Amino acid sequence: MTQSEVVIRVEGLGKKFRIPHQKRNSVFESIANALQVFEAERFSYEEFWALEDVTFSVGEGESLGVIGSNGSGKSTLLKVLAGIIRPTTGSVEVKGKSAPILGLGVGFHPDLTAKDNIRMYGSIMGLGREEVRSKVQPILEFAGLEKFGDAKLRNLSSGMQLRLAFAVAVETRPDLFFIDEALAVGDLDFQAKCIDKFREFREEGRTLVLVTQSMDQVKTFCDQAIHLAHGKVMKAGSPEAVINDYLSGRNN
Amino acid sequence: MLRGYSRYGDLVRMLVVKEFKVRYRNSALGFLWSLLNPLAMMVILTIFYTFVFYSSSIANYPVFVLPALLAWRFFAIGTSSSLDAIAGNSALVTKVYFPRILLVLSGSLANALGSTLEFVALLPLMVVLGLRLTAFSALLPIILVLEFILIFGLSLLLSSVSVFYRDFNQIWEIFLQAGFFLSPIFYSQDLIPSGLLTVYSINPVERIVVATRQVLYYGGPPTGLDFAAIALSAVVFLGLGLLAFRHFDGRFGDLV
Repeated sequence: MTQSEVVIRVEGLGKKFRIPHQKRNSVFESIANALQVFEAERFSYEEFWALEDVTFSVGEGESLGVIGSNGSGKSTLLKVLAGIIRPTTGSVEVKGKSAPILGLGVGFHPDLTAKDNIRMYGSIMGLGREEVRSKVQPILEFAGLEKFGDAKLRNLSSGMQLRLAFAVAVETRPDLFFIDEALAVGDLDFQAKCIDKFREFREEGRTLVLVTQSMDQVKTFCDQAIHLAHGKVMKAGSPEAVINDYLSGRNN
Repeated sequence: MLRGYSRYGDLVRMLVVKEFKVRYRNSALGFLWSLLNPLAMMVILTIFYTFVFYSSSIANYPVFVLPALLAWRFFAIGTSSSLDAIAGNSALVTKVYFPRILLVLSGSLANALGSTLEFVALLPLMVVLGLRLTAFSALLPIILVLEFILIFGLSLLLSSVSVFYRDFNQIWEIFLQAGFFLSPIFYSQDLIPSGLLTVYSINPVERIVVATRQVLYYGGPPTGLDFAAIALSAVVFLGLGLLAFRHFDGRFGDLV
């Protein structure tokens, strides 16, 4: 660990979800359910801990790689860091402006044009009107979508949407990036562009949390890594050690 | 709860514009279409009143009914569209964080803007049809602001509830249908027996419709009681709405 200021501090984090045995989210079903007093079919759910007692910290300018198999809690962790869902137990502290790229999008509206979405996202990130306006063109250029500025988002391919999401998140200059397996959808040229950007972030001292299935990316970009399995931290430390732990666990 | 959100001013403006663009399908024609509904209702109700009820005790019925219809639409469209403010914006709720109350606020503001435009667009027509503007007509904006606060408060409640119960819109539709008949929109509240009037006017929209008609159709001042009741219900629902929204806010990300 370096001596830099801690910008992400996660202590004893737990996140519990309720998984209903039957999906029930209507008034009609609730009433129907309440009437079946003596039947075994009454609404019940299982509690599921997506994250359990997760503790780590990330210093300013550091990059953290998060690896683990599907369903191990990686995306849940990023959502908690981004403030989108709240922890059930423990505490999470994130200092600075963060930009999450979760899955395909960053909070776009399918019925608005690419340009309008850029403007809206810019204002979500707290940019002023003029600042947003001046960035629309550079963002479209970085995404390689100059010709599609006035197209509705729903008419763009998933790769194009990802490129736009990445470009807009980059251009709003956040202090922290949370990226969730997003790069896999982009084509090779765009992946190369993103990798250049990651280098730039690191040089500029921005903090990166990268959820990925690519061990190469973890080795190349991350100062430290954690391996999650069933919501628990199996191993934390240097990327090599954590990757070895993850791979050896899979081979057993 | 709204303090410290000043940096989100641009976002609210963007969201209102977004709401508007989506609602009116990006065209000025879309707004003209939205005027068609109250106008058609005015014509239908006037025909009904004149030829089915065969009545003429209300002078200039079109001008009697249109302001009430517009005040009702403000309430009905505002509250029913709020049901989707959180549940229908999953991309904005699950992909990025900002205070979610802004989604409800911007929806209510967009609706208020739409309703204001309806009043502005149709007021000349009312004048042509015989409405006389008086000094009391200037009270209309105050009534509409209070109605906006009531709608916003209710919207906070409704948008929270519909995250948990996705079919709540069906139930709210029934409420609105009842409300349309239980408010003196196409009839005068003089028809209500005086013994029932107290119960009848618990409905805050009833007071709003009466006050709107009073300042526009009758050109007189609304009663102090109407004003006080409207203001009180607006404040009460705003308080309840803020409390409920704050309580449920933490679970929206899990459920949407």
